[in-house]
Amino acid sequence: MKKLLTAGLLALMAGSAGAEDVTLQLKWVTQAQFAGYYVAKDKGFYEEEGLNVTIKPGGPDIAPEQVIASGQADVITTWMPAALAARERGVPLVNIAQPFKNGGLEFTCLKETGVESPADFPGKTLGVWFFGNEYPFYAWMAKLGLATDGSEGGVTVLKQAFNVDALLQKQAACISVMTYNEYGQVLDAGITPDQLVTFNYRDEGVVVLEDGLYVMEDRLADPAFAETMVKFVRASMKGWKYAEANPDEAAQIVIDNDESGAQSLAHQQYMMSEVAKLTAGGNGALDPADFDATVASLLAAVSPENPAITKAPEGKAWTHEITDKALAE
Amino acid sequence: MRRAAPVLVVLLGLIALWYAASVWMNATWVYDQAARAGESPTLMEVIPQTMAQERPLLPPPHQVASRLWEGLAGQAITSKRSLVYHGFVTFRGTMAGFALGIVLGVGLAMAIVRFRVMDMSVMPWAIISQTVPIVAIAPMILVVSNQLGIQGREVPKAIIASYLSFFPVLVSMVKGLRAPDQMQLDLLKTWGASEGQTFRKLRLPASMPYFFASLKVAVAAALVGTIVGELPTGAVEGLGARMLLGSQYGEPLITWAALFASAILAGILILAVGLVERLANRRMGVRA
Amino acid sequence: MVLALALAFWAAAWALNARVAAFGRTRAGRIFVPVLFGITLLVLWEGLVRGLGVSAVILPTPSAIAAKFAASTGLLWADFVQTVLKGALSGFVIGTAAAFATAILADRVPFLREGLLPVGNFVAALPIVGMAPILVMWFGFGWQSKAAVVVAMVFFPMLINVVAGLAASDRMQRDLMATWGASYWQALWKLRLPAAMPFVFNGLKIAASLALIGAIVAEYFGSPVVGMGFRISTAVGVLNIELVWAEIAVAALAGSAFYGLIALAEKAVTFWHPSQRN
Repeated sequence: MKKLLTAGLLALMAGSAGAEDVTLQLKWVTQAQFAGYYVAKDKGFYEEEGLNVTIKPGGPDIAPEQVIASGQADVITTWMPAALAARERGVPLVNIAQPFKNGGLEFTCLKETGVESPADFPGKTLGVWFFGNEYPFYAWMAKLGLATDGSEGGVTVLKQAFNVDALLQKQAACISVMTYNEYGQVLDAGITPDQLVTFNYRDEGVVVLEDGLYVMEDRLADPAFAETMVKFVRASMKGWKYAEANPDEAAQIVIDNDESGAQSLAHQQYMMSEVAKLTAGGNGALDPADFDATVASLLAAVSPENPAITKAPEGKAWTHEITDKALAE
Repeated sequence: MRRAAPVLVVLLGLIALWYAASVWMNATWVYDQAARAGESPTLMEVIPQTMAQERPLLPPPHQVASRLWEGLAGQAITSKRSLVYHGFVTFRGTMAGFALGIVLGVGLAMAIVRFRVMDMSVMPWAIISQTVPIVAIAPMILVVSNQLGIQGREVPKAIIASYLSFFPVLVSMVKGLRAPDQMQLDLLKTWGASEGQTFRKLRLPASMPYFFASLKVAVAAALVGTIVGELPTGAVEGLGARMLLGSQYGEPLITWAALFASAILAGILILAVGLVERLANRRMGVRA
Repeated sequence: MVLALALAFWAAAWALNARVAAFGRTRAGRIFVPVLFGITLLVLWEGLVRGLGVSAVILPTPSAIAAKFAASTGLLWADFVQTVLKGALSGFVIGTAAAFATAILADRVPFLREGLLPVGNFVAALPIVGMAPILVMWFGFGWQSKAAVVVAMVFFPMLINVVAGLAASDRMQRDLMATWGASYWQALWKLRLPAAMPFVFNGLKIAASLALIGAIVAEYFGSPVVGMGFRISTAVGVLNIELVWAEIAVAALAGSAFYGLIALAEKAVTFWHPSQRN
């Protein structure tokens, strides 16, 4: 409580000192997936840059793209397919940084259901997350040539909830998991890794960039806003690197910021250690090759039912302007 | 005491049924795990294991009770882990929605009774509004109110709650304000009472029993609305959010404890409103 | 400017409505006035969204929603079948029938009634909708779990209404049946059930709107890739907001039709009741 008060006071003082306000909308609830931002806030990295950052947690019904379009956030974290889809629908989002070099999305199956390889998928029920997270799955199925409309020789798709019950209760043979979250929940439930078969999307040839930072294109043209974003990205990346180096402290910071009080420290420590593996390879600058690969994956699976994008994104959907300056020194 | 006995018997029956069901439902997982480990446990070995799982399909009553107690009394009430804290968040939302619903319901009812055009144009839509599933619009209310520059979730939550709670108030108040019969109205007219006086001295007092009777329904509706407003709209605080998060984090006990906490909250609200109703009726000389 | 125009339009439409309403309660007027009111709201919505330049990913115009509706009738129909016909309707039938049977049982066994009624009264006021994630976990992802949520939601409100209805006939009427030597079932069928009908229909109406809410909410917690709740909860994520509103329109139409049918049946069955005589 005392810490909170001082933090609040500091924020107030920073506010009066003419700090620049930045609102960050997260893609999901407060958890170690976003540890870098919470660390940057609690460790005062934002403050050192003269920023007053508000972090808004997300949730099952919050589309960050919608929030930023309504002007309720300055910058958002989201996955690239959702951002590109929003861009095609008239919300011109631009990737300014890509803290997650690698993706944590995987597909895990119970061995006892008879799935050993993608060749065993036909006739099985597969759990998928929707809400903009379904694009990688459809891209993969298109690559495998499997029908997803329930027709003969195809697969049956379930909208799984954001938990692992579908697998534990054998309602689905395979489900989507994040390495840093649901996979741990499966293990926690008492299933051992050798009872599972897990497919990594990147290994299966479906490249999809996950958590990146996105802003509206028109605002980026304003040099003052661009300067603020340089500071924001610099401090955020500092937060990420600190979190990688001090995972247990980062997990505790996340727990301190969790308003729901439903997260457990042990799970956040697990999550932090796994997330660190995804951010470790990068410095925050987007690798254009990954961008091209993501677009190629998505365009390989254009269907009228689930179009992420129907054509290559127009204009500049990403920029190095911000990261070049932020990472210069 | 004689009236309490049947209730107790029914409750005990429900609890017994609950225990039996939790053994039956949780046993599948025990057998599955044993099969994976290559064992075949006897029923006597299985039963204790169904009573203390971390993610039971149906937690037995004592597990829920201990979790509920821990949430209510085992934490500082300002802690984010305290159910009292989350219950208070939901309570605040419910009260805001309840108040908004009363204002809206009474206001509309007065306009409907006074102006025929209101009666004809608004009343049908008020009925239709209740057939629209609130859950479908809840996220949209959130987005649109954000767009209007309203920060946070408190206001949209109250709007969602009042969407459900205004209707019973409206219906009862229309009935109540129209309760005085023609003879009473004529009498006031012969006394030369103005429209405002008729309203204050006759219609309003006549409608009060209807008003208080509708409050009990309205407060329950406001609670349901608040929980719905917290459930699928990404709220992070409140009992509705706890129910959702428990399901997301794979910790069913969080969901169950939140469910029972909301039941306790509902009980308190209904008792309180019932008390207000009785006091008001007694003061106004209505025979209960 | 836009706001001034909107206000002017509102005033004009309202004045027209007031004129029509003043002309007495003809059948045509009764339909015209609320319809005009509804149209006024839609026109205002369209005008404000266009005039103020609100982004389509925040709030689409009614015309865009209507266009989306017309373009995706096949999809909407499939969702309607999945959610309303399979989920809500089956749950509604099972739940209300079970409540009815329980009420009769409680009526036969006074001890049960005295125990069940306070419990039922309390449970009916609870936010049962919070059970949705649990019931989805129990009954799987298909429509069965949606029906189960609906059953849980409608059972107690229906139960307390039927029990109250069965107590609605007065002492003298029941004594009269007894003096005629009527059996329990005869008295139930000839006197007490008809007397209970206004309460039964009240319960059915409450259950109807709860059924739709339950079936839609349950789909938020896992579903096949079809259904109104599925569509509403996922289309927002891909910024297909017009489709969300089209589904809301379907839900509103389904809800109103459901309610209307029950009201019609009520009129036919309880024509004798004072509330039906104008």
